[in-house]
Amino acid sequence: MNRREFLITSSAAAGLLALPRFASAAAGTIDLYSGSDANIVDLWNNIIRPAFQKAHPEVALKVTDAGDNNGLRAIADRALAALKTKTDPQADLFEQFDPRLPAGGIDAGLWVKLSAENIEGYDHINPLAFDTSYSLPYRGSQVLLAYDTTKLDPKDAPKSWDQLTAWIKAHPGQFIYNRPDKGGSGSNFVRRAIHEVNGRDPKKFKVDNFTADYGAAALMPAWKILNDLAPSLYDKGAYTSGNTQSIQLLAQGVVTMVPVWSDQVLQAISQGVLPETTGLVQLGDLALCGGFSSITVFSNGANKDAALKLAAFMLTKDMQEAIITQIGGFPAISWDHISDDLRKKYADVIPSTIPTFPSGDWEKAINDGWYRNVAPGISRT
Amino acid sequence: MSADTALAAPRRHQSIDRRSFIGLLLVALPVFLVGWLIVFPIFSAVVGTIFVRGPDGATEFSLASYRFFFSDGYSLGNLWLTLWTTAVCGILLLAIGLPIALYLRFSQGRLAAYVQALAIFPMFVPSIILAYALIRTIGPNGTIDLLLNAAGLPKLRTPYLTPWGPVIGLVWDNLPLTVLMLTAGLSSVSNSAIEAARDVGAGPLRVFVSIILPRMGNSLLVTASFAVLGIFSAFTLPYVLGPASPEMMGPFMQRTFADMNDPLNAMTQAVITFALCLVFGIFYIRSIARNREARP
Repeated sequence: MNRREFLITSSAAAGLLALPRFASAAAGTIDLYSGSDANIVDLWNNIIRPAFQKAHPEVALKVTDAGDNNGLRAIADRALAALKTKTDPQADLFEQFDPRLPAGGIDAGLWVKLSAENIEGYDHINPLAFDTSYSLPYRGSQVLLAYDTTKLDPKDAPKSWDQLTAWIKAHPGQFIYNRPDKGGSGSNFVRRAIHEVNGRDPKKFKVDNFTADYGAAALMPAWKILNDLAPSLYDKGAYTSGNTQSIQLLAQGVVTMVPVWSDQVLQAISQGVLPETTGLVQLGDLALCGGFSSITVFSNGANKDAALKLAAFMLTKDMQEAIITQIGGFPAISWDHISDDLRKKYADVIPSTIPTFPSGDWEKAINDGWYRNVAPGISRT
Repeated sequence: MSADTALAAPRRHQSIDRRSFIGLLLVALPVFLVGWLIVFPIFSAVVGTIFVRGPDGATEFSLASYRFFFSDGYSLGNLWLTLWTTAVCGILLLAIGLPIALYLRFSQGRLAAYVQALAIFPMFVPSIILAYALIRTIGPNGTIDLLLNAAGLPKLRTPYLTPWGPVIGLVWDNLPLTVLMLTAGLSSVSNSAIEAARDVGAGPLRVFVSIILPRMGNSLLVTASFAVLGIFSAFTLPYVLGPASPEMMGPFMQRTFADMNDPLNAMTQAVITFALCLVFGIFYIRSIARNREARP
């Protein structure tokens, strides 16, 4: 073996040895995964990370975009497996996840139980926001209807589901929502239809009460309503492929009304993507779903203590106000703990109730059911 | 025979052995990677969809997932749309690419250089950027609509969110490769053959049909296979520009696998997609092999 060959083989061997080191997380770096839209990932990278590292210079924070909720579920499954084999899950916390998944995770002790004892500021949290003691609400948002006030007078904006469907039918081609698996604004519009045919009672749907029979009985009537609406939608039943695309169609003046996330639409208006003449309305009989996004912390993460510090840091007044001012979200702590100026400015959008819909098996049933029963109703000429 | 040559012979033999050993070593890595990352997953996917693990943990032979795919109207609709999109795109690509390639082959000068640059340009635009650009131009109330409106013409029905949306995107996206491959194929047509044909009074059409086309068969086949393989498995453009349903196999597989958490059916869809692509893969490999044999 000559010198050159020796160098090639030895450097390749050294490279192979170094591989696992690159793959595992560096010590003192919190691994956070987000399944949210780009505006939230930007908030974490541009606002929260610098502020947190200034307050806690001893730890670093790495934010990874996991794509969507399914991306997070895969990592959670991996972490549950890692818990059983007592290895490092290479993840410390999730931005926005339902700790009831993966099934059995809570019983196995996958998530840290959060309370005033391990989270500073826990008692400031808005009582509306609490879901389970394994998730820490840190921001809220809700799906609203955004409309063009130059085409629809705010006086005539629909205030109930019946008025909304009547308006959609009276103005064919002026409404569109996105595919339910591609973004919350469309999926919560679909969920509002499901609530409508089930007595407008969000309590009927729980993450663990899905059965095939109950699912069919609860969802079939909703598919009928949505099928009935389809010919009146934009292009006789076209559906955009995401939250952003719906906003884009509204911005181009193609449609008059779309369901939107409150935080995304406020941001779009403030950035000039949507004109100042954009109106916002919420249904009064039962609001479109929304909810508080919550942080979940892995009990077996390598940097659990640092992750808990970060979770508590999110409840500080500065970060909560950043959520209002930067992304137009709702704070998770009670409005009493927000400065007076902001409280007055946002008095109109402070919600008194936010209905929610569970994920898990319901999400699968709704997504597939929608594709099979509603989407093929397209009449293509 | 002197002692010198007797000594030299085995030495030469040894060095050839060593060279061929290094050669084998060099191809070993790609062969191993192909085997590990492509051939093995294909077999494991085929086996995994035929020998299914039942709820009791026992593995049994079952074609149920294939039976489901071919009896499910929704899945068949998606497959049909994919085949339709691929066929339409393939035909459009050849119909647009061939005239451009012919022009580039037979003209010189600055204008030809501009045309070439323009034809290659889409290669440098990522498909997600292209998808959004197309929404803004050919989408509803987009640039085209505005221009038509300014000229007092009626609105056109936009292809956005219909099966024609992905077709336009995919043709634009695949055009550079098509033009490049066809131009390369045209370079095998010698100028003297064309001049000879012209000398005996052949018109442009006659030259194209009798001289150019027979020499282009191979590269047309290769171009078509490349385009088909790329389009069949396209994801971004059908996902962003296309209708919610029927959807092309790419988005359908992704949704079945990730959203429905149903690896068995996703794998079945993948095997069926792969089987269809294999047909074009075989065309490609056969034409390459024939090309090799034809060479001296």
